[in-house]
Amino acid sequence: MNSTQEHKHVSKISAPRSNREFIEACVQAGDAVRIKQEVDWENEAGAIVRRACELGAAAPFMERIKDYPGFSYFGAPLSTYRRMAISLGMDPASSLPEIGKEYLRRTNSEPIAPVTIDRKDAPCKENILMGADVDLCKLPVPLVHDGDGGRYVGTWHAVVTKHPVRGDVNWGMYRQMMFDSRTMSGAVFPFSDLGKQLSEYYLPRGLSCPFATAIGLSPLAAMAACAPSPIPEPELVGMLSGEPARLVKCETNDLEVPADAEIIIEGEICPDYKVEEGPFGEYTGYRTSPRDFRVTFRVNCITYRNNATMTISNMGVPQDEGQLLRSFSLGLELEKLLRSQGIPVTGVYMHPRSTHHMMIVGVKPTYSGIAQQIGQLAFGSKLGPWFHMVMVVDDQTDIYNWDEVYHAFCTRCHPENGIHIYRNTTGTPLYPFATPQERKYSIGSKVVFDCLWPVDWDKINDVPTLVSFKNVYPQDIQDRVLANWTAYGYPQVK
Amino acid sequence: MNQWEVFVMDMAELAEGKDLALSIRTLNPGRHKYTYKHVRCQVSTNLDKHPDRLQVRMGRGQLSAAKFSIQVIEEIRRLPPQYA
Repeated sequence: MNSTQEHKHVSKISAPRSNREFIEACVQAGDAVRIKQEVDWENEAGAIVRRACELGAAAPFMERIKDYPGFSYFGAPLSTYRRMAISLGMDPASSLPEIGKEYLRRTNSEPIAPVTIDRKDAPCKENILMGADVDLCKLPVPLVHDGDGGRYVGTWHAVVTKHPVRGDVNWGMYRQMMFDSRTMSGAVFPFSDLGKQLSEYYLPRGLSCPFATAIGLSPLAAMAACAPSPIPEPELVGMLSGEPARLVKCETNDLEVPADAEIIIEGEICPDYKVEEGPFGEYTGYRTSPRDFRVTFRVNCITYRNNATMTISNMGVPQDEGQLLRSFSLGLELEKLLRSQGIPVTGVYMHPRSTHHMMIVGVKPTYSGIAQQIGQLAFGSKLGPWFHMVMVVDDQTDIYNWDEVYHAFCTRCHPENGIHIYRNTTGTPLYPFATPQERKYSIGSKVVFDCLWPVDWDKINDVPTLVSFKNVYPQDIQDRVLANWTAYGYPQVK
Repeated sequence: MNQWEVFVMDMAELAEGKDLALSIRTLNPGRHKYTYKHVRCQVSTNLDKHPDRLQVRMGRGQLSAAKFSIQVIEEIRRLPPQYA
């Protein structure tokens, strides 16, 4: 092997290419458990997934589903950073900054176009239901939470659509509730890509919008569908996995879907027919958004793999993939945005426990008003509706260390001068704190917490000195204390 | 006897002695449990008045203690014919 081949070999990404490969990789790493006993689709499967999320436990792979022989469930696919690392083909023990760095490296690389394969080679075409055979109840659609408005078909999936003029392909994770055997309803907010597509083109013309829902995606396809990236999702999957995504044409429309997905549901979004959707347990940890008449999907065809596995994300209190993955990708995409504008950021992080509502930004405070500039850029971007708090700390504060961030917030953020509120912005009906009126019309409000020392303060006489081991002792004293720590009688610090 | 469930924001939506248009979901066991129908119906707190049972959930999924009997008069076809 020459050095070039060796380099290619070393740099090749070995990420799971399908949901099945991912499950196997998780089982091998001890990050998924095979559940052999029969599990009920009504609440029991959801409860298992929820408890696994709240414990940070291994993902449940439920191999026998009541009423649905031959089907299985895989829950909480990406609700831990370990499983996120596995999905990227990394060491499961990789740290969050390492995973973030790798995500940025891959998503800043050259786009990799998808390939379209012949339908006879596409696993998702192994079973095809058309016409009178179409019945969503033939799939093991779970009742995820007791009291939900329905059984949710789409909790960890991609809704594939295409703009008929521009040709933009969109994969989005819009939740979908089964209303009846051939109808689903979903929460598609007006500021989302699909919401804009519907309101700009299809609804004014009274035209139905073709869609395809892909369930049981490879983890990186799911990550792409969840990521708020401007890169088209099929190319983003290629960048994340290091090879072209394999797509196949639908049976009843011209859309292309991931060929290795477990289940594909094809149909049309109705411009003139709406049914109720919700309530549903949401990523904020509450059932907040009201039951309402929402975007309605009429199903024309279902295709699925033999022994198909349905993926379940159970959203609720932290932490599930709705918080963990969304916080991860939203934070990193915001970091790209800020860097593209020349802001000297040292990092951006959204803690999953904030349910991606708080963006923590580390920055070199080189000029006045930088915190507000960051807030305005972030809130004004297309990502803005998904969070309402920006906390800006200096480059000496570890943004991943909540203790340090909280200390900075409580000690440096001036209660009058450091808090900046923006009213009547775009929000979502999912904000638990929003008034009923704000929820109904997606009205938001935002706040910036400026935790930087003002640049017009004298650095010697006005800026307080941080009193910490690392900051106030000479290096030789620090080295001596660290070297003698166990000799003093303390246990070794990990 | 069929078991049904309905979501309401206010119990006043379930007026007795009137024809109501509701989206109700079946609680009968089996694969079609929790699928909906749009129906014209009458409800009563007298559990003996109508042949089927109706339980009620509020807007955020809270189960109400109130129980109703229900008579489904007819299914309402709202679906435009082009999607049938």
